[in-house]
Amino acid sequence: MAGAGHRRGPLDGGVVIVVGIETSTPRTSVAVGDGQDILASISLAGKARQESATPALEYLLGATGLDLAKVAGIAVGVGPGLFTGLRVGVETAKTLAQVLHIPIVGLSSLDTLAYAVRHTHKRIAAVIDGRRGEVFFSLYRSVPGGVVRETEPAVVKPDGLTAELEAVTEEVLAVGNGAMLYRHELEELKRVEVGTSVSAHPEAAVLVELAVPRFLREEFDRPFDIVPLYLRKSDAEIAWDQRARGAQA
Amino acid sequence: MEAVLRAVTVDDTRSVGEALAPLLEPRDAVVLTGELGAGKTTFVQGVARGLGIEDQVVSPTFTLIKEYSGRLDVAHVDVYRLDRVQDVMDLGLDELGQGEDVLLVEWGDVVEELLPVARLRVELTAEDPDGGSEVRRIALSGRGSSWEERWPALATAVGPWTVAS
Repeated sequence: MAGAGHRRGPLDGGVVIVVGIETSTPRTSVAVGDGQDILASISLAGKARQESATPALEYLLGATGLDLAKVAGIAVGVGPGLFTGLRVGVETAKTLAQVLHIPIVGLSSLDTLAYAVRHTHKRIAAVIDGRRGEVFFSLYRSVPGGVVRETEPAVVKPDGLTAELEAVTEEVLAVGNGAMLYRHELEELKRVEVGTSVSAHPEAAVLVELAVPRFLREEFDRPFDIVPLYLRKSDAEIAWDQRARGAQA
Repeated sequence: MEAVLRAVTVDDTRSVGEALAPLLEPRDAVVLTGELGAGKTTFVQGVARGLGIEDQVVSPTFTLIKEYSGRLDVAHVDVYRLDRVQDVMDLGLDELGQGEDVLLVEWGDVVEELLPVARLRVELTAEDPDGGSEVRRIALSGRGSSWEERWPALATAVGPWTVAS
């Protein structure tokens, strides 16, 4: 190991290289940034995305000539979002953090989505498609340097979303693939503007920018505390009755 | 939308599944119910054959999900070993194959609320549950407008086995 005896710290040399992994939506994005700049990022949609986080990172490191040993932290989007992608992204991030012995930070995909459009004067509704006719949603307000989340992430049906936004007295910018999916319903509300494809998905490059201050302040998460945020939690038991009948077979 | 069929042999049960296959569309959910040994996996084998899937289809009881590719992409799911609704949700069934997979869900009736609204229910019952008889009663019922549109074609396809509709 290079630099034996000197544990690589996030503030080493004043530069913190962070790898971001975002897989909350049907898109996988991976980015590498150093706190000053995004050095490289890749963002993929479609069928190949599910196994693409690790190869994408390898490609980015190869293309930038960065050594994995120089990476000081891992930032991961923890959802809310879709199971399939989140499981892969979160596990990939945790594995990297543990193998490289570097800190990890988990951030809400809705925060990342909202942060990307923080330069608006409008209120921001971050809306991710949750499938099954539901969306994940939080409301934000822009403040200098960032956004402040005003409502806890919730899973709502489209009419619930429009009701929430109708109650907002200011103009609203609704971003995310969930907002785009229900564009028609949202645009019937006069004060609501719906974002386009550039703001449809939480991007790892944004995630990295959002996460760097956390690394600089050493506000890390414990790897085991990082779990995908599904929102649709259910403690219910399956109402098995006929299984018992055939269970002996 | 209901039809009751009678399949005399295991091969017959498989053939019913095969006859159904051409009617399937992406994102369909087929819910298979019936006790252990009723022929749920056999029925799925027929569906797979009808979709041109060449892989051998075995019960996914211990693997929970197995995906196959044919005319359509299929996810064969068995929730028998799961105890909690959350476990089923964690399978992310509606996300398989970008949400395009045909879901064939064994024991799916207990978690129907987690499946797409438009679905076909296939209920298999052994005519003589204690004996070695291969005769099965297969009750089909459809839900949703897309099955309503397909029902006449389905009725024709399973006509040879139909005893009541």
